[in-house]
Amino acid sequence: MSYKIPMGPYHPGLEEPYKLDMICEGETVVDAELNIGFNFRGIEHLAETRNYVQVIALMERVCGICSFIHTLTLCQAMEKLTGLEAPPRAQYIRVIMAELERLHSHVLWAGIAAKLMGFKTMFMTCFALREKVMDVLQAISGNRVNYSMNHVGGVNRDIEDPIALVPMIDDLEREMMRTVIPIFTTSSTARSRCAGIGVLTHEKAVSCAVVGPTARASGIAQDLRRDAPYAAYAEMKFEVPVEQAGDVRARLFVRALEIIESCNILRQALAKMAPGEISSAGEKLVFATGTATSRVEAPRGEVLYSVTWKENSRNPARVHVRTPTYANMPAVRWMVRGARLADTPLIQASIDPCYSCTDR
Amino acid sequence: MIALENLREKLGVAEPWVESRGTYWLNPGMATVRELAQAMNSAGARFVTITAYELPGDAGFRLEYHWDLQGCLLGVPFQIAGKSPESAKIESIYDLSEAADWIEREVHEGFAIEFTGREYEPLMLKPGDKPGVNLREAPAQDNPAPSLPGQKEVAQ
Repeated sequence: MSYKIPMGPYHPGLEEPYKLDMICEGETVVDAELNIGFNFRGIEHLAETRNYVQVIALMERVCGICSFIHTLTLCQAMEKLTGLEAPPRAQYIRVIMAELERLHSHVLWAGIAAKLMGFKTMFMTCFALREKVMDVLQAISGNRVNYSMNHVGGVNRDIEDPIALVPMIDDLEREMMRTVIPIFTTSSTARSRCAGIGVLTHEKAVSCAVVGPTARASGIAQDLRRDAPYAAYAEMKFEVPVEQAGDVRARLFVRALEIIESCNILRQALAKMAPGEISSAGEKLVFATGTATSRVEAPRGEVLYSVTWKENSRNPARVHVRTPTYANMPAVRWMVRGARLADTPLIQASIDPCYSCTDR
Repeated sequence: MIALENLREKLGVAEPWVESRGTYWLNPGMATVRELAQAMNSAGARFVTITAYELPGDAGFRLEYHWDLQGCLLGVPFQIAGKSPESAKIESIYDLSEAADWIEREVHEGFAIEFTGREYEPLMLKPGDKPGVNLREAPAQDNPAPSLPGQKEVAQ
Protein backbone atom coordinates (compact mmCIF):
# COMPACT_ATOMS: atom_id res chain seq x y z
CA MET A 1 0.00 0.00 0.00
CA SER A 2 1.36 3.41 -0.93
CA TYR A 3 0.96 6.54 1.16
CA LYS A 4 1.94 10.18 0.78
CA ILE A 5 4.47 11.91 3.04
CA PRO A 6 4.74 15.70 2.70
CA MET A 7 8.02 17.48 3.21
CA GLY A 8 7.39 21.18 3.61
CA PRO A 9 6.42 23.83 2.95
CA TYR A 10 8.06 24.36 6.37
CA HIS A 11 10.52 21.67 7.36
CA PRO A 12 13.83 21.61 9.27
CA GLY A 13 15.56 20.27 6.15
CA LEU A 14 14.48 23.21 3.99
CA GLU A 15 16.15 26.59 3.95
CA GLU A 16 13.11 28.17 2.34
CA PRO A 17 9.53 27.04 1.83
CA TYR A 18 8.53 24.61 -0.88
CA LYS A 19 6.72 21.31 -0.78
CA LEU A 20 7.77 17.86 -1.84
CA ASP A 21 5.00 15.28 -1.62
CA MET A 22 6.53 11.83 -1.62
CA ILE A 23 4.55 8.77 -2.51
CA CYS A 24 6.07 5.93 -0.53
CA GLU A 25 5.81 2.18 -0.30
CA GLY A 26 7.21 1.27 3.07
CA GLU A 27 10.39 3.31 3.50
CA THR A 28 10.96 3.63 -0.24
CA VAL A 29 9.94 6.68 -2.28
CA VAL A 30 8.28 5.59 -5.51
CA ASP A 31 7.38 9.04 -6.86
CA ALA A 32 7.24 12.68 -5.82
CA GLU A 33 5.37 15.87 -6.64
CA LEU A 34 6.84 19.33 -6.29
CA ASN A 35 4.95 22.44 -5.29
CA ILE A 36 6.62 25.83 -5.44
CA GLY A 37 5.33 29.40 -5.31
CA PHE A 38 5.49 30.06 -1.58
CA ASN A 39 8.03 32.87 -2.13
CA PHE A 40 6.33 34.38 -5.17
CA ARG A 41 6.77 38.16 -5.11
CA GLY A 42 5.90 39.14 -8.68
CA ILE A 43 9.38 40.58 -9.23
CA GLU A 44 9.23 40.36 -13.04
CA HIS A 45 6.11 42.50 -13.02
CA LEU A 46 7.57 44.90 -10.43
CA ALA A 47 10.65 45.34 -12.64
CA GLU A 48 8.45 46.90 -15.32
CA THR A 49 7.57 49.66 -12.86
CA ARG A 50 11.16 50.56 -11.92
CA ASN A 51 13.61 52.81 -13.74
CA TYR A 52 17.08 51.70 -14.83
CA VAL A 53 18.63 52.54 -11.46
CA GLN A 54 15.85 51.13 -9.28
CA VAL A 55 15.58 47.90 -11.27
CA ILE A 56 19.15 46.96 -10.31
CA ALA A 57 18.34 47.32 -6.60
CA LEU A 58 15.15 45.31 -7.12
CA MET A 59 16.78 42.42 -8.99
CA GLU A 60 19.55 42.26 -6.37
CA ARG A 61 16.80 41.04 -4.06
CA VAL A 62 15.73 38.09 -6.21
CA CYS A 63 18.20 35.99 -4.20
CA GLY A 64 20.07 36.55 -0.95
CA ILE A 65 22.92 34.16 -1.73
CA CYS A 66 23.76 35.16 -5.29
CA SER A 67 22.61 38.78 -5.24
CA PHE A 68 25.75 39.95 -7.06
CA ILE A 69 25.20 37.48 -9.89
CA HIS A 70 21.68 38.77 -10.49
CA THR A 71 22.79 42.39 -10.83
CA LEU A 72 25.76 41.32 -12.96
CA THR A 73 23.52 39.46 -15.39
CA LEU A 74 21.01 42.30 -15.50
CA CYS A 75 23.69 44.96 -15.99
CA GLN A 76 25.37 42.95 -18.76
CA ALA A 77 22.03 42.79 -20.58
CA MET A 78 21.44 46.52 -20.04
CA GLU A 79 24.99 47.27 -21.24
CA LYS A 80 24.14 45.51 -24.51
CA LEU A 81 21.16 47.83 -24.91
CA THR A 82 23.10 51.00 -24.08
CA GLY A 83 26.25 50.10 -26.02
CA LEU A 84 28.34 50.60 -22.89
CA GLU A 85 31.14 48.28 -21.88
CA ALA A 86 32.58 48.04 -18.40
CA PRO A 87 36.29 49.04 -18.27
CA PRO A 88 38.87 46.23 -17.80
CA ARG A 89 39.37 46.94 -14.09
CA ALA A 90 35.62 46.71 -13.49
CA GLN A 91 35.54 43.40 -15.39
CA TYR A 92 38.17 42.02 -13.01
CA ILE A 93 36.29 43.29 -9.98
CA ARG A 94 33.19 41.53 -11.31
CA VAL A 95 35.14 38.26 -11.57
CA ILE A 96 36.48 38.67 -8.02
CA MET A 97 33.04 39.38 -6.57
CA ALA A 98 31.44 36.53 -8.52
CA GLU A 99 34.05 34.04 -7.30
CA LEU A 100 33.82 35.24 -3.70
CA GLU A 101 30.08 34.77 -3.96
CA ARG A 102 30.59 31.26 -5.34
CA LEU A 103 32.93 30.50 -2.42
CA HIS A 104 30.48 31.64 0.22
CA SER A 105 27.59 29.86 -1.52
CA HIS A 106 29.46 26.56 -1.83
CA VAL A 107 30.79 26.70 1.73
CA LEU A 108 27.32 27.51 3.02
CA TRP A 109 25.95 24.56 1.06
CA ALA A 110 28.67 22.29 2.47
CA GLY A 111 27.65 23.35 5.98
CA ILE A 112 23.99 22.65 5.37
CA ALA A 113 24.77 19.31 3.73
CA ALA A 114 26.88 18.41 6.78
CA LYS A 115 24.00 19.32 9.07
CA LEU A 116 21.61 17.14 7.08
CA MET A 117 24.09 14.28 7.30
CA GLY A 118 24.04 14.64 11.07
CA PHE A 119 27.60 15.98 11.02
CA LYS A 120 27.16 19.13 13.09
CA THR A 121 30.83 19.73 13.86
CA MET A 122 31.45 20.07 10.14
CA PHE A 123 28.45 22.42 9.87
CA MET A 124 30.13 24.72 12.42
CA THR A 125 33.50 24.47 10.65
CA CYS A 126 31.96 25.39 7.29
CA PHE A 127 30.06 28.34 8.69
CA ALA A 128 33.20 29.63 10.42
CA LEU A 129 34.97 29.43 7.04
CA ARG A 130 32.11 31.18 5.33
CA GLU A 131 32.43 34.05 7.79
CA LYS A 132 35.94 34.68 6.49
CA VAL A 133 34.60 35.01 2.95
CA MET A 134 31.77 37.24 4.13
CA ASP A 135 34.32 39.48 5.87
CA VAL A 136 36.13 40.00 2.57
CA LEU A 137 32.89 40.72 0.73
CA GLN A 138 32.05 43.25 3.41
CA ALA A 139 35.51 44.80 3.22
CA ILE A 140 35.13 45.29 -0.55
CA SER A 141 31.51 46.34 -0.78
CA GLY A 142 30.53 47.48 2.71
CA ASN A 143 27.74 44.89 2.79
CA ARG A 144 27.43 41.23 3.69
CA VAL A 145 24.49 40.26 1.48
CA ASN A 146 23.26 42.81 -1.05
CA TYR A 147 26.53 44.32 -2.22
CA SER A 148 25.28 47.11 -4.51
CA MET A 149 28.43 46.68 -6.58
CA ASN A 150 27.11 46.74 -10.15
CA HIS A 151 25.78 49.52 -12.29
CA VAL A 152 25.35 49.79 -16.03
CA GLY A 153 28.84 50.32 -17.42
CA GLY A 154 30.92 49.29 -14.43
CA VAL A 155 31.07 48.80 -10.69
CA ASN A 156 30.42 51.15 -7.78
CA ARG A 157 33.49 50.40 -5.65
CA ASP A 158 37.13 49.75 -6.39
CA ILE A 159 39.38 47.19 -4.72
CA GLU A 160 42.19 49.49 -3.68
CA ASP A 161 44.67 46.90 -2.43
CA PRO A 162 43.96 43.61 -4.24
CA ILE A 163 47.14 41.89 -3.04
CA ALA A 164 45.98 42.32 0.58
CA LEU A 165 43.19 39.84 -0.16
CA VAL A 166 45.54 37.05 -1.25
CA PRO A 167 46.37 35.80 2.31
CA MET A 168 42.64 35.33 2.94
CA ILE A 169 42.33 33.22 -0.20
CA ASP A 170 45.39 31.16 0.84
CA ASP A 171 43.97 30.69 4.32
CA LEU A 172 40.60 29.57 3.00
CA GLU A 173 42.11 27.15 0.52
CA ARG A 174 44.40 25.70 3.20
CA GLU A 175 41.46 25.12 5.52
CA MET A 176 39.43 23.50 2.74
CA MET A 177 42.31 21.19 1.77
CA ARG A 178 43.22 20.36 5.36
CA THR A 179 39.78 19.89 6.93
CA VAL A 180 36.66 20.09 4.82
CA ILE A 181 37.58 18.19 1.64
CA PRO A 182 39.34 15.23 3.40
CA ILE A 183 36.43 14.76 5.79
CA PHE A 184 33.79 14.98 3.07
CA THR A 185 35.70 12.62 0.79
CA THR A 186 37.08 10.05 3.21
CA SER A 187 34.93 9.90 6.33
CA SER A 188 32.65 6.89 6.60
CA THR A 189 29.76 9.14 7.77
CA ALA A 190 29.87 11.28 4.65
CA ARG A 191 30.39 8.27 2.38
CA SER A 192 27.53 6.26 3.85
CA ARG A 193 25.12 9.19 3.60
CA CYS A 194 26.11 10.35 0.09
CA ALA A 195 27.49 7.53 -2.07
CA GLY A 196 25.00 5.98 -4.49
CA ILE A 197 22.17 8.16 -3.17
CA GLY A 198 19.94 10.50 -5.19
CA VAL A 199 21.37 9.42 -8.53
CA LEU A 200 20.58 11.57 -11.56
CA THR A 201 21.76 9.61 -14.60
CA HIS A 202 23.54 11.37 -17.44
CA GLU A 203 20.60 10.71 -19.78
CA LYS A 204 18.09 12.15 -17.33
CA ALA A 205 20.33 15.14 -16.64
CA VAL A 206 20.43 15.87 -20.38
CA SER A 207 16.68 15.41 -20.72
CA CYS A 208 15.91 17.70 -17.75
CA ALA A 209 18.50 20.24 -19.04
CA VAL A 210 19.96 20.68 -15.56
CA VAL A 211 22.74 23.22 -15.07
CA GLY A 212 25.71 24.04 -12.86
CA PRO A 213 27.22 21.58 -10.36
CA THR A 214 24.12 19.36 -10.67
CA ALA A 215 24.86 18.88 -14.39
CA ARG A 216 28.60 18.56 -13.91
CA ALA A 217 28.09 15.84 -11.27
CA SER A 218 26.16 13.84 -13.90
CA GLY A 219 28.92 14.00 -16.49
CA ILE A 220 27.83 17.13 -18.39
CA ALA A 221 30.87 19.33 -18.92
CA GLN A 222 29.21 22.73 -19.22
CA ASP A 223 30.28 25.97 -17.60
CA LEU A 224 29.49 29.38 -19.09
CA ARG A 225 32.69 30.85 -17.63
CA ARG A 226 34.56 28.65 -20.10
CA ASP A 227 31.97 28.05 -22.86
CA ALA A 228 30.67 31.62 -23.22
CA PRO A 229 33.06 33.79 -21.21
CA TYR A 230 31.87 37.12 -19.80
CA ALA A 231 33.53 39.81 -17.64
CA ALA A 232 37.26 38.88 -17.53
CA TYR A 233 36.84 35.09 -17.49
CA ALA A 234 38.41 34.71 -20.94
CA GLU A 235 41.72 35.72 -19.33
CA MET A 236 41.50 33.18 -16.47
CA LYS A 237 42.91 29.67 -16.54
CA PHE A 238 40.87 27.13 -14.64
CA GLU A 239 39.52 23.61 -14.78
CA VAL A 240 35.85 22.62 -14.89
CA PRO A 241 35.43 19.71 -12.47
CA VAL A 242 33.17 16.96 -13.83
CA GLU A 243 32.07 13.76 -12.08
CA GLN A 244 30.23 10.84 -13.65
CA ALA A 245 28.38 9.12 -10.78
CA GLY A 246 25.46 11.59 -10.58
CA ASP A 247 24.87 10.90 -6.87
CA VAL A 248 24.95 13.23 -3.86
CA ARG A 249 28.63 12.45 -3.34
CA ALA A 250 29.46 13.50 -6.92
CA ARG A 251 27.64 16.80 -6.39
CA LEU A 252 29.61 17.27 -3.18
CA PHE A 253 32.93 16.51 -4.95
CA VAL A 254 32.16 18.92 -7.78
CA ARG A 255 31.48 21.77 -5.38
CA ALA A 256 34.54 20.97 -3.27
CA LEU A 257 36.75 21.05 -6.37
CA GLU A 258 35.07 24.24 -7.55
CA ILE A 259 36.06 25.91 -4.27
CA ILE A 260 39.70 25.16 -5.09
CA GLU A 261 39.22 26.45 -8.67
CA SER A 262 37.57 29.61 -7.35
CA CYS A 263 40.59 30.26 -5.11
CA ASN A 264 42.77 29.75 -8.18
CA ILE A 265 40.71 32.22 -10.26
CA LEU A 266 40.69 34.74 -7.42
CA ARG A 267 44.49 34.69 -7.15
CA GLN A 268 44.83 35.24 -10.91
CA ALA A 269 42.29 38.06 -10.96
CA LEU A 270 43.83 39.84 -7.98
CA ALA A 271 47.32 39.58 -9.51
CA LYS A 272 46.32 40.68 -13.03
CA MET A 273 43.98 43.55 -12.18
CA ALA A 274 44.68 46.40 -14.56
CA PRO A 275 44.80 49.97 -13.23
CA GLY A 276 42.25 52.42 -14.53
CA GLU A 277 38.64 53.48 -14.32
CA ILE A 278 35.91 51.32 -12.82
CA SER A 279 33.03 52.82 -14.79
CA SER A 280 32.33 53.98 -18.31
CA ALA A 281 28.83 55.28 -17.61
CA GLY A 282 28.00 58.89 -18.40
CA GLU A 283 25.38 60.96 -16.61
CA LYS A 284 22.42 59.77 -18.66
CA LEU A 285 21.89 56.40 -20.24
CA VAL A 286 20.23 55.97 -23.62
CA PHE A 287 18.67 52.57 -24.25
CA ALA A 288 18.11 51.11 -27.70
CA THR A 289 14.72 49.63 -28.43
CA GLY A 290 14.83 45.87 -28.38
CA THR A 291 15.78 42.85 -26.34
CA ALA A 292 19.13 41.80 -24.92
CA THR A 293 19.87 38.52 -23.23
CA SER A 294 22.70 37.81 -20.84
CA ARG A 295 23.86 34.64 -19.12
CA VAL A 296 26.16 34.12 -16.15
CA GLU A 297 27.41 31.00 -14.36
CA ALA A 298 26.05 31.45 -10.83
CA PRO A 299 27.12 29.14 -7.97
CA ARG A 300 24.10 26.92 -8.71
CA GLY A 301 24.36 27.13 -12.51
CA GLU A 302 23.28 29.26 -15.43
CA VAL A 303 21.25 32.45 -14.80
CA LEU A 304 19.59 34.08 -17.80
CA TYR A 305 18.09 37.56 -18.05
CA SER A 306 16.10 38.74 -21.05
CA VAL A 307 15.63 42.50 -20.86
CA THR A 308 13.44 44.47 -23.26
CA TRP A 309 13.39 48.24 -23.60
CA LYS A 310 11.20 50.64 -25.54
CA GLU A 311 12.52 53.88 -26.99
CA ASN A 312 12.62 56.91 -24.66
CA SER A 313 11.56 54.84 -21.68
CA ARG A 314 13.22 54.91 -18.30
CA ASN A 315 11.71 51.56 -17.33
CA PRO A 316 12.26 48.14 -18.88
CA ALA A 317 9.28 46.85 -20.84
CA ARG A 318 9.98 43.29 -19.73
CA VAL A 319 12.53 41.50 -17.55
CA HIS A 320 12.49 37.72 -17.67
CA VAL A 321 14.68 35.74 -15.27
CA ARG A 322 15.52 32.05 -15.61
CA THR A 323 17.39 30.92 -12.50
CA PRO A 324 19.44 27.73 -12.08
CA THR A 325 17.18 26.16 -9.45
CA TYR A 326 14.27 26.60 -11.85
CA ALA A 327 16.13 24.29 -14.24
CA ASN A 328 17.41 21.88 -11.59
CA MET A 329 14.41 21.50 -9.32
CA PRO A 330 12.25 19.27 -11.57
CA ALA A 331 15.10 16.73 -11.59
CA VAL A 332 14.64 16.17 -7.84
CA ARG A 333 11.61 14.05 -8.69
CA TRP A 334 13.90 11.60 -10.50
CA MET A 335 16.59 11.77 -7.81
CA VAL A 336 14.28 10.73 -4.99
CA ARG A 337 12.62 7.86 -6.88
CA GLY A 338 13.76 4.64 -5.26
CA ALA A 339 15.47 6.46 -2.40
CA ARG A 340 14.90 5.81 1.28
CA LEU A 341 12.59 8.37 2.85
CA ALA A 342 15.28 9.34 5.38
CA ASP A 343 17.65 10.32 2.57
CA THR A 344 15.29 12.71 0.81
CA PRO A 345 16.14 15.88 2.81
CA LEU A 346 19.79 15.47 1.82
CA ILE A 347 18.93 14.55 -1.78
CA GLN A 348 16.81 17.64 -2.37
CA ALA A 349 19.46 19.76 -0.66
CA SER A 350 22.16 18.34 -2.93
CA ILE A 351 21.09 20.57 -5.82
CA ASP A 352 21.59 23.56 -3.47
CA PRO A 353 18.07 24.79 -4.14
CA CYS A 354 17.05 28.42 -3.90
CA TYR A 355 13.31 28.96 -3.88
CA SER A 356 13.48 32.74 -3.68
CA CYS A 357 15.22 32.57 -7.06
CA THR A 358 12.80 29.98 -8.39
CA ASP A 359 9.63 31.76 -7.36
CA ARG A 360 10.79 35.35 -7.93
CA MET B 1 29.00 27.51 -37.28
CA ILE B 2 28.29 24.25 -39.05
CA ALA B 3 25.83 23.04 -36.40
CA LEU B 4 23.74 26.17 -36.80
CA GLU B 5 23.61 25.84 -40.58
CA ASN B 6 22.64 22.16 -40.29
CA LEU B 7 19.80 23.16 -37.98
CA ARG B 8 18.57 25.79 -40.41
CA GLU B 9 18.64 23.34 -43.34
CA LYS B 10 16.87 20.69 -41.32
CA LEU B 11 14.06 23.14 -40.55
CA GLY B 12 13.87 24.24 -44.19
CA VAL B 13 14.39 27.88 -43.27
CA ALA B 14 15.80 30.12 -45.99
CA GLU B 15 16.76 33.13 -43.89
CA PRO B 16 20.16 32.90 -42.18
CA TRP B 17 20.87 33.07 -38.47
CA VAL B 18 21.36 36.64 -37.33
CA GLU B 19 23.64 37.47 -34.42
CA SER B 20 22.30 40.28 -32.28
CA ARG B 21 23.70 41.30 -28.88
CA GLY B 22 25.30 37.90 -28.32
CA THR B 23 22.27 35.77 -29.26
CA TYR B 24 21.83 33.94 -32.58
CA TRP B 25 18.30 34.48 -33.89
CA LEU B 26 16.42 32.49 -36.49
CA ASN B 27 13.13 33.43 -38.08
CA PRO B 28 11.38 30.04 -38.14
CA GLY B 29 9.26 30.82 -41.20
CA MET B 30 6.82 27.96 -41.72
CA ALA B 31 8.55 25.63 -39.24
CA THR B 32 6.48 24.78 -36.18
CA VAL B 33 7.70 24.91 -32.62
CA ARG B 34 7.54 21.12 -32.41
CA GLU B 35 9.70 20.73 -35.52
CA LEU B 36 12.11 23.17 -33.96
CA ALA B 37 12.23 21.22 -30.69
CA GLN B 38 12.88 17.97 -32.58
CA ALA B 39 15.67 19.59 -34.59
CA MET B 40 17.23 21.01 -31.42
CA ASN B 41 17.07 17.61 -29.72
CA SER B 42 18.79 15.91 -32.65
CA ALA B 43 21.48 18.61 -32.69
CA GLY B 44 22.14 18.04 -28.98
CA ALA B 45 21.08 21.55 -27.97
CA ARG B 46 20.06 22.22 -24.36
CA PHE B 47 16.67 23.83 -23.76
CA VAL B 48 17.05 27.03 -21.75
CA THR B 49 13.75 28.87 -21.46
CA ILE B 50 10.77 30.56 -23.11
CA THR B 51 10.33 34.30 -22.72
CA ALA B 52 6.83 35.59 -23.34
CA TYR B 53 5.99 39.15 -24.40
CA GLU B 54 2.57 40.71 -24.68
CA LEU B 55 2.28 42.75 -27.87
CA PRO B 56 0.38 46.05 -27.98
CA GLY B 57 -3.36 46.13 -28.63
CA ASP B 58 -4.79 42.92 -30.00
CA ALA B 59 -1.57 41.88 -31.70
CA GLY B 60 -1.22 38.87 -29.42
CA PHE B 61 2.03 37.54 -27.97
CA ARG B 62 5.59 36.77 -28.96
CA LEU B 63 7.26 33.71 -27.45
CA GLU B 64 11.03 33.50 -27.67
CA TYR B 65 12.37 29.96 -27.32
CA HIS B 66 15.97 29.70 -26.19
CA TRP B 67 18.38 26.80 -26.54
CA ASP B 68 22.11 26.52 -25.87
CA LEU B 69 24.26 24.87 -28.49
CA GLN B 70 27.94 24.48 -27.60
CA GLY B 71 27.89 27.69 -25.54
CA CYS B 72 25.95 29.70 -28.16
CA LEU B 73 22.59 31.07 -27.06
CA LEU B 74 19.98 30.51 -29.77
CA GLY B 75 16.69 32.38 -29.96
CA VAL B 76 13.69 31.53 -32.11
CA PRO B 77 10.60 33.76 -31.90
CA PHE B 78 7.05 32.58 -32.52
CA GLN B 79 4.08 34.87 -32.88
CA ILE B 80 0.67 34.15 -31.39
CA ALA B 81 -2.08 36.16 -33.06
CA GLY B 82 -4.77 37.38 -30.69
CA LYS B 83 -5.29 37.36 -26.95
CA SER B 84 -8.64 35.65 -26.61
CA PRO B 85 -8.76 32.16 -25.08
CA GLU B 86 -9.57 30.76 -28.55
CA SER B 87 -6.57 32.34 -30.25
CA ALA B 88 -3.87 32.49 -27.52
CA LYS B 89 -2.60 28.97 -28.24
CA ILE B 90 0.61 27.27 -29.28
CA GLU B 91 1.69 23.63 -29.37
CA SER B 92 3.38 22.29 -26.27
CA ILE B 93 6.90 20.84 -26.58
CA TYR B 94 6.80 19.27 -23.13
CA ASP B 95 6.69 15.72 -24.53
CA LEU B 96 9.75 16.46 -26.71
CA SER B 97 11.67 18.51 -24.16
CA GLU B 98 10.95 17.61 -20.57
CA ALA B 99 12.78 20.75 -19.43
CA ALA B 100 10.03 22.93 -20.94
CA ASP B 101 7.44 21.73 -18.41
CA TRP B 102 7.73 24.42 -15.74
CA ILE B 103 8.22 27.35 -18.07
CA GLU B 104 5.17 26.35 -20.16
CA ARG B 105 3.15 26.23 -16.94
CA GLU B 106 4.55 29.60 -15.85
CA VAL B 107 3.78 31.29 -19.18
CA HIS B 108 0.31 29.75 -19.08
CA GLU B 109 -0.23 31.20 -15.62
CA GLY B 110 1.29 34.60 -16.31
CA PHE B 111 -0.21 35.27 -19.73
CA ALA B 112 -3.11 32.80 -20.08
CA ILE B 113 -1.51 31.27 -23.18
CA GLU B 114 -2.65 27.72 -23.82
CA PHE B 115 0.02 25.14 -24.68
CA THR B 116 -1.99 22.55 -26.57
CA GLY B 117 -1.44 18.83 -26.20
CA ARG B 118 -0.62 18.79 -22.53
CA GLU B 119 -2.32 18.82 -19.17
CA TYR B 120 -1.62 21.37 -16.47
CA GLU B 121 -0.99 20.56 -12.88
CA PRO B 122 -2.21 23.10 -10.29
CA LEU B 123 -0.92 26.65 -10.46
CA MET B 124 2.78 26.77 -9.91
CA LEU B 125 3.69 30.33 -9.02
CA LYS B 126 0.70 32.54 -8.55
CA PRO B 127 -1.61 31.86 -5.68
CA GLY B 128 -5.16 32.48 -6.80
CA ASP B 129 -7.59 30.97 -9.16
CA LYS B 130 -7.14 32.26 -12.67
CA PRO B 131 -4.31 32.24 -15.23
CA GLY B 132 -3.44 35.48 -16.98
CA VAL B 133 -3.65 37.91 -14.08
CA ASN B 134 0.03 38.25 -13.37
CA LEU B 135 2.00 39.53 -16.36
CA ARG B 136 -0.67 40.71 -18.80
CA GLU B 137 -1.43 44.40 -19.14
CA ALA B 138 -5.07 43.70 -18.38
CA PRO B 139 -6.31 40.51 -16.73
CA ALA B 140 -7.44 37.88 -19.23
CA GLN B 141 -11.17 38.26 -19.80
CA ASP B 142 -13.72 35.50 -20.15
CA ASN B 143 -11.12 32.93 -19.31
CA PRO B 144 -12.85 29.59 -19.23
CA ALA B 145 -10.17 27.99 -17.08
CA PRO B 146 -11.74 26.21 -14.13
CA SER B 147 -10.98 27.33 -10.65
CA LEU B 148 -7.61 25.93 -9.61
CA PRO B 149 -6.42 25.33 -6.05
CA GLY B 150 -4.70 28.26 -4.38
CA GLN B 151 -1.46 28.17 -2.41
CA LYS B 152 -3.03 27.26 0.91
CA GLU B 153 -4.88 24.32 -0.58
CA VAL B 154 -1.70 23.03 -2.20
CA ALA B 155 0.09 23.34 1.13
CA GLN B 156 -2.41 21.15 2.95
